[in-house]
Amino acid sequence: MKYVRYTTLALALSAGSLSVHAQESATTDIGTTDAAKLGKSFPAKPPYSPYAGRNFPTRPFFGDTHLHTSYSMDAGAFGCRLTPADALRFARGEEVTSSSGQPARLSRPLDFLVVADHSDNMGFFPDFFAGKAELLADPTGRKWYDMMQNGQGAQAALEIIGAFSQGKFPPALVYAPGTRPYHSAWLATIEANEKYNEPGRFTALIGYEWTALDKGNNLHRNVIFRDNGDKASMVDPFTCIPPQGSTNPLDLWKWMAAYEAKTGGSVLAIAHNGNLSNGTMFPVEEAFGKKLDSAYCAERAKWERLYEATQTKGDGEAHPFLSPTDEFANFERWDKGNLDGSQAKTKAMLEFEYARSALENGLKLEAKLGVNPYKFGLIGSSDAHNGLAAMEEENFFGKTTPQEPSPERINATFMNNPKTGVTIRDWEVSASGWAAVWANENTRESIWDAMQRKETYATTGTRMVVRFFGGYDFEATDAADRMPARIGYTKGVPMGGDLHAAPAGKSPTFLVAALKDPIGANLDRIQVIKGWLDAQGNVQEKIYDVAWGDAEKRKPGADGKLPSVGSTVDVGNATWSNTIGDPELITVWKDPAFDPALRAFYYVRVIEIPTPRWTAYDAKRFGVKPPAEAAMTVTERAYTSPIWYTPAK
Amino acid sequence: MRRILKEPLLHFLVFGAALFLAYGLLQRNGGSREPGQIVVTLGQIEQMAAGFAKTWQRPPTTEELAGLVRDRVREEVYCREAMALGLDREDTVIRRRLRQKMEFVSDDVAALAEPTEAELEEYLRTHADAFRVEPRFTFNQVYLDPQKHGADLASDAAKLRAQLEHAGAGADLSTLGDSRMLEPQYTDLPLGDVAQQFGEPFSKALDGLAVGRWQGPVESGYGVHLVYVRERAEGHTPVLSDVREAVRREWDNARRIAANEAFYTELLKSYTVQIEGLDDTGKAK
Repeated sequence: MKYVRYTTLALALSAGSLSVHAQESATTDIGTTDAAKLGKSFPAKPPYSPYAGRNFPTRPFFGDTHLHTSYSMDAGAFGCRLTPADALRFARGEEVTSSSGQPARLSRPLDFLVVADHSDNMGFFPDFFAGKAELLADPTGRKWYDMMQNGQGAQAALEIIGAFSQGKFPPALVYAPGTRPYHSAWLATIEANEKYNEPGRFTALIGYEWTALDKGNNLHRNVIFRDNGDKASMVDPFTCIPPQGSTNPLDLWKWMAAYEAKTGGSVLAIAHNGNLSNGTMFPVEEAFGKKLDSAYCAERAKWERLYEATQTKGDGEAHPFLSPTDEFANFERWDKGNLDGSQAKTKAMLEFEYARSALENGLKLEAKLGVNPYKFGLIGSSDAHNGLAAMEEENFFGKTTPQEPSPERINATFMNNPKTGVTIRDWEVSASGWAAVWANENTRESIWDAMQRKETYATTGTRMVVRFFGGYDFEATDAADRMPARIGYTKGVPMGGDLHAAPAGKSPTFLVAALKDPIGANLDRIQVIKGWLDAQGNVQEKIYDVAWGDAEKRKPGADGKLPSVGSTVDVGNATWSNTIGDPELITVWKDPAFDPALRAFYYVRVIEIPTPRWTAYDAKRFGVKPPAEAAMTVTERAYTSPIWYTPAK
Repeated sequence: MRRILKEPLLHFLVFGAALFLAYGLLQRNGGSREPGQIVVTLGQIEQMAAGFAKTWQRPPTTEELAGLVRDRVREEVYCREAMALGLDREDTVIRRRLRQKMEFVSDDVAALAEPTEAELEEYLRTHADAFRVEPRFTFNQVYLDPQKHGADLASDAAKLRAQLEHAGAGADLSTLGDSRMLEPQYTDLPLGDVAQQFGEPFSKALDGLAVGRWQGPVESGYGVHLVYVRERAEGHTPVLSDVREAVRREWDNARRIAANEAFYTELLKSYTVQIEGLDDTGKAK
């Protein structure tokens, strides 16, 4: 297929060569029958519709893989009243009343949601009516049922509770064959997911959070099912309290393997908040007293396909101590201590906490042990504990119920451990983020499969579109094509993929493109971040600015540094304008320093122009004075899953 | 699961564990204080074993089951002592958990209600907007970046529109406009999806465009677009049989909220509430 270099409209107009022409009438009609006819007759021309037969994802689906409701012990204790069903309704775009009594609604619906409540203490509740048939067969049950049908539901409920607590509940109802004396919050969660899952429109993936805490260090993972409720309900979620549970990820992976073996289903796990793990999230030497071996690496790579790189409790892509020349690394940083603040952070811990250093150390481990345990893709999610996936800066409902919008929250304290002096203020909580998934369809299977192949990216709350393809044959003209995705999939692999042995004399080339959020801010720049293992076995990284906004007047200086895009933010009024930056950026980039003998990975970071942070909206709307040290602007961003290069053996 | 519970081996293990436990309790029965009695019933042990099996897809070993039972006894001892000391009182977590359990019960009760056909019809009629089938659009678009065209935006758009009108429906769009990420054609897209990808102002405008000719400029979150609507499938209010599941879901939800509210109101009736410093109407005295 021939790809033509397309010119912009302005050029076309000035050249007077606007290539607008009438097609033959036979080809103007788009329809499946026509396309089929054309296909059968092997036409010289391709079908009119360039999309016919297209089998790659055309738009990313945005969602949250990590949302808590009142079914989480801590969320409920903090006052969350919203159930999984409420959370799903909200994510679908419905207005709900938050636990603090405020009406809440998203600017636009999400495409998918994972209610991921903590598995520990999720709870069992008396199940009075597991079997409706038994209820109707029993005289007392029948009486209650009739009361409910006659509008005396409240009275019936009282009688039922009273009967139960006094041991006078008709045994036939509780212990009828095939019924269960208790139903768990887990089953209730599954039921809500089944109700609100609507293939093609909104996906409710079944999941939970395994909340492993080792001496206050965060080792949490979210477990996400590909399957429907019939399979997911065959198991109970894995917990942390022994002997049933464990805080060692090895045991979680065993649980996952047991689930798959038993049900024929599929699960994956997503770790998060390495920044609160005090150096234990991405170990390189040992874990739980055992030296890392190739089995550990293989299991981790198999089950932990993605990493949650950004969320309310801080950003986890990179740290300025580890990447001192990265001017964008100091972003929504939470590096004071571990999860409960029981141990303060030391610099030596940082290397084992952040996504970028883990990706780098993964190369090292692969060279040493033969398997890269940290070959993960990236997503962002909220970890909100109020049932509200509301991560928009101007519509941020906070991380917990007490942190829902109020004049007080900007000056409140999120956590304070007097022993260690670790204090985190509420203003530090980040309105972040989303998981963007390049799936063919908005269904459980399609979204899960895209997660499994890591065709995902993280955003800090924006819904920008990011494409990233790697191959050996991309040319500059590919960036001018009107359908970059078609070229991308034809000539390369998408984000999350692998580049194998380079053809002699060739370097990896990348087609990379970003389109702003339709209701969000313009784009500052696209960066490719390369990490590699040098000939001495040391990890290296380099950040390339590959495309940027206002390019006609914004040129890198003598030092190669791109000048700042500037800022239009009026903090006092919480406004900004899209008069700087570009709505769309696209380019083909070739690694200028490629060594085919060295392992490497490449991922993309897209930075938006500065916009008001949620703190600025709060200060404006509530007329409150923020703490002097509070960040009031934010540069929203996206991180793609890497593309890995592995040399031939 | 039921099969596992009927395993003779399991029964043996359970019996063994129970004996072990009883023995352990007897051994410890030597203090001066009158001991309370803790009985771990076979039913409870069965439940523990079933819970383990549901987590691990296998029954627990003897030692694992004994561990679960030991833990259960420890929990029981601590719970009783804690309650004797009144530690369960004024504990926010416990109070909220109890409240949540009441709500579970009340949810259960609400869930029992079966709507009649007429009730569902009525719900659909009174909430028609929530179930409306969206219109769907097949359209072409050419995008102009306002920053690139500056003061010439309007005239460039007008010129381009004239050219496009001349070319008509078959215009070759593969070289036009300023965007390479926005597609020249979108097929059979529901209005909500249009709003997701272009923003609401654009989707609202699109909804008002005539079919079969180039129009615009239409504004979006990206800039302006010239648009040709090829096909428009009208939205409509569906009949119940097409959306029964969704109507039932929403009806259930509305019913649940109402039932919970009624339940609370009913409970509240058996209390008089006095708030110090406030009068009956909630105002400060």
